[in-house]
Amino acid sequence: MLDPLQIVRVVEENMKAHGLPFPAPREALYSWAKPLKMPDRGSPMLYTGGLYQITPYIMSVVDSLSKFEDLKLISVALKASRLLSTLGLSGLVVRPRADTVSYVENILRSIVELLRKAGVNVAYGYEDDLYSGVLLYDLGLDELFKEHAVKVYKALKSREAKTIITVDPHTTHIMRSVYPKYVEGYDLEVKSYLEVLAEAGLKTEQQNGGDVVIHDPCLYARFEGVIGQPRFLLQKSGFKVLEPRRSGRMTYCCGGPIEGLAPKMAKTIAKTRLSELSEKHGVIVTLCPICYANLKSVSDDKVKVEDIALLLGGREL
Amino acid sequence: MDKSLRVWVESEAGRCVYCGFCEPVCPTLYPGGHRGYGPRGRVNIALNLVEGGKPTEEVLKSIYSCLLCGACNLVCPAKIDIVSVIRVFRALMWRTKTY
Amino acid sequence: MARRVSEDLIRLLSRDKVIDDPDIVRLYAREPSGISSEALAVVFPENVRDVSKIASYAYKNNVPVYPQGSTTDLVGGAVPEPSGIIVSFERMNKIVNVNILDSTVDVEVGVRLGDLNVELAKHGYMFPIDPASVNIATVGGAINSGAGGLRGAKYGTMRDWVLRLTIVLPDETGTIMNVGCRTTKCRQGYDLVRLIVGSEGTLALVAEATLKIAPLPETMATALAFFPTLENLFEAYREIKSSGVQPLIMEFMDHETAKLAGEASKSPINVEGHMLLVSVDCNFEAVERIESWLRGVMEKNGAVKVYTSKTIEGAEPLFTIRRSLFPAQVAIASELYPGRKKIVFMDDIAVPPSKILEAVKVIKSVSEEKGLKVSIGGHIGDGNLHPSVAFPLDDDTIKKKVLEWEFEISKIAVELGGTVSAEHGIGLRKKEFLRMEMEKLGSVKALEIMKGVKKIFDPKGILNPGKVV
Repeated sequence: MLDPLQIVRVVEENMKAHGLPFPAPREALYSWAKPLKMPDRGSPMLYTGGLYQITPYIMSVVDSLSKFEDLKLISVALKASRLLSTLGLSGLVVRPRADTVSYVENILRSIVELLRKAGVNVAYGYEDDLYSGVLLYDLGLDELFKEHAVKVYKALKSREAKTIITVDPHTTHIMRSVYPKYVEGYDLEVKSYLEVLAEAGLKTEQQNGGDVVIHDPCLYARFEGVIGQPRFLLQKSGFKVLEPRRSGRMTYCCGGPIEGLAPKMAKTIAKTRLSELSEKHGVIVTLCPICYANLKSVSDDKVKVEDIALLLGGREL
Repeated sequence: MDKSLRVWVESEAGRCVYCGFCEPVCPTLYPGGHRGYGPRGRVNIALNLVEGGKPTEEVLKSIYSCLLCGACNLVCPAKIDIVSVIRVFRALMWRTKTY
Repeated sequence: MARRVSEDLIRLLSRDKVIDDPDIVRLYAREPSGISSEALAVVFPENVRDVSKIASYAYKNNVPVYPQGSTTDLVGGAVPEPSGIIVSFERMNKIVNVNILDSTVDVEVGVRLGDLNVELAKHGYMFPIDPASVNIATVGGAINSGAGGLRGAKYGTMRDWVLRLTIVLPDETGTIMNVGCRTTKCRQGYDLVRLIVGSEGTLALVAEATLKIAPLPETMATALAFFPTLENLFEAYREIKSSGVQPLIMEFMDHETAKLAGEASKSPINVEGHMLLVSVDCNFEAVERIESWLRGVMEKNGAVKVYTSKTIEGAEPLFTIRRSLFPAQVAIASELYPGRKKIVFMDDIAVPPSKILEAVKVIKSVSEEKGLKVSIGGHIGDGNLHPSVAFPLDDDTIKKKVLEWEFEISKIAVELGGTVSAEHGIGLRKKEFLRMEMEKLGSVKALEIMKGVKKIFDPKGILNPGKVV
């Protein structure tokens, strides 16, 4: 495990410098949206909180950090994290893999298209689709989180959002259950796109999508009550949903939340979960970019990990 | 504010009866290699150190390796909000810079 | 001292097998019984050779050694007092071999019973010993405490399910010894396996075990019934026990306890009296007949409400209230003593099943006399009761009263032909209870023999000192 306080400091410095927990270009958050021509203000507004988009960058950072962990040279890792922190400010380039970047961008586009097909035309805040601050909250950087949350809320209000539609469990949870405690007068209605689609009734295109085993993300299943919706949507799209030994509220974490602090432990947990899932079936469906990245990183070619938005959007298995 | 958070951690974590029902559902316990990597350990570390003191390296690893996944919250017979205890304890440690 | 010992241990094993950080060591020096202490270091053996090295080191240096599973002990059996080395078996958690033809499983002792059952279920088998802590408890802890559980009515306790052990002795070389057989029938001289089972880590360090396993039942008939009086309940109990059927599970909770457990678990079942829960495992063809027979017996004996099930899964909701006994007790404690550190004190006695009604009644009256709020539940199929109370750690008056109450109840158990500990053990807390029991049996000599046995296994008295005898 790396020195946790150093990592917290890296996150803090990066946030203060450019509003993201790890070095990544700001436009990475919204450049995917341009071809979709969504109105830039109004409600409901799609709010991604940036988690899908920064996932490829996190994966790269984790990759380089875990090399230090392997060497067990805590002091080297420490220096490296300082390096990352100071250089990060002045533009240390963390190069994400192009295929993961396009994968997550396809997910986001698929979500917008699914919503449109269900008759929900969303606005989008572009430069104001700011990072939600989830990691600040989780790491206990409370003051900075509060400050940032107020900024995010103001940005969304300035774009006339009343209802926001979120795309991942972490952002859903933080916007719906945490922001109200930190932002005075918070009045946004928050819904996950899976909830919106389930309510609107998804128009199906596929008749026989095949078997998939579902991996419930902790925050959807345990904190936000999003359990039935993904199953309903997958079934409606012609998939047969298989349950792993631990599912629903009693799901088992993918290990992802600590990938930046304890990459090895995160991988061990991901392997445990992956084998439990693949015991049921070789196609695993994830509902969260962190779960996707972490399970994917330990999978071999016998196992397929796919995001639910792509499956609902008609991707063939 | 810090004082009220400390009092909250103390009363919440103080309800632990040490039964260990939370441990088998915790993903970090086995890979971590000792009890500090499970909820029972973390809650009691928070309880023991909430009044301050310099956390050791193992304590930091214990507290920051929590996934905040919430599996333990569901099975705790005392219904302790373990996830919040750990998150708030992180906030307190960071703010008071006891390290 | 602590520093020297941990440095020695690091040299002997390796850095990552030793924890000497006081904040972490502290986590191992406490248990749910409320007793806590201090230890020099925690070591994590990864194989039997590691265990042997530790035993030999402790012997040569006269350092006490405390073997630990998951520390769910309720009698002070795992407390490191006086200070010493805690040996945590949590990293020895491999299921080495499942042999269906032999109906055995070879395990390292750090395997949790819950994990063992997940693996065995893949083969259609189970390990039938299921204490309330089954998901947490390790095989080693269960062996050392002689654990039982819900299915005790049919399957007994650990001593009926351990065939063979690999143990390590605290001597010059840390002798590794295999005792017992892989066969059910085994006449290997004196039965050392059964001597070790329930010895609470005072005789040897148990490293590996061969356990018997049982096929998962095809299905089971379950009836959950509520009775207006204890007499009604006992009549139903008597009829079932006398019918030639051997129930898998027979559980009891008194009205008030069941009510609180029902509330704690948010069970939709309305608790309308004293609770009797009976399951009979059987094949599919018989389940309907047994289910209606159970219902009939309950109703005939005055049950106000009976719920039944013909499947294992279907019985799950009927078990919710019983499973919530412990959470209910924790909830009661929180309500009684808000904001204070408290202990849920769960006693563990057994009486012959024919005396169970009497036992429950006397426990109730003794508790009332003392003004204690006691909840009573237990595995009445085998006469095992768990009356329990909660008390705040900072109140010596209540604490004293609770200790007197517990002694009184133990005395009653012995007078009724029972025993002071059925499945939790003696530990630190029940030593004088054990003495009282042997005195009442006119057999104090047995304690001397036990001490002699201890001396042969552990001449320096360094293995979990101060426990049992």
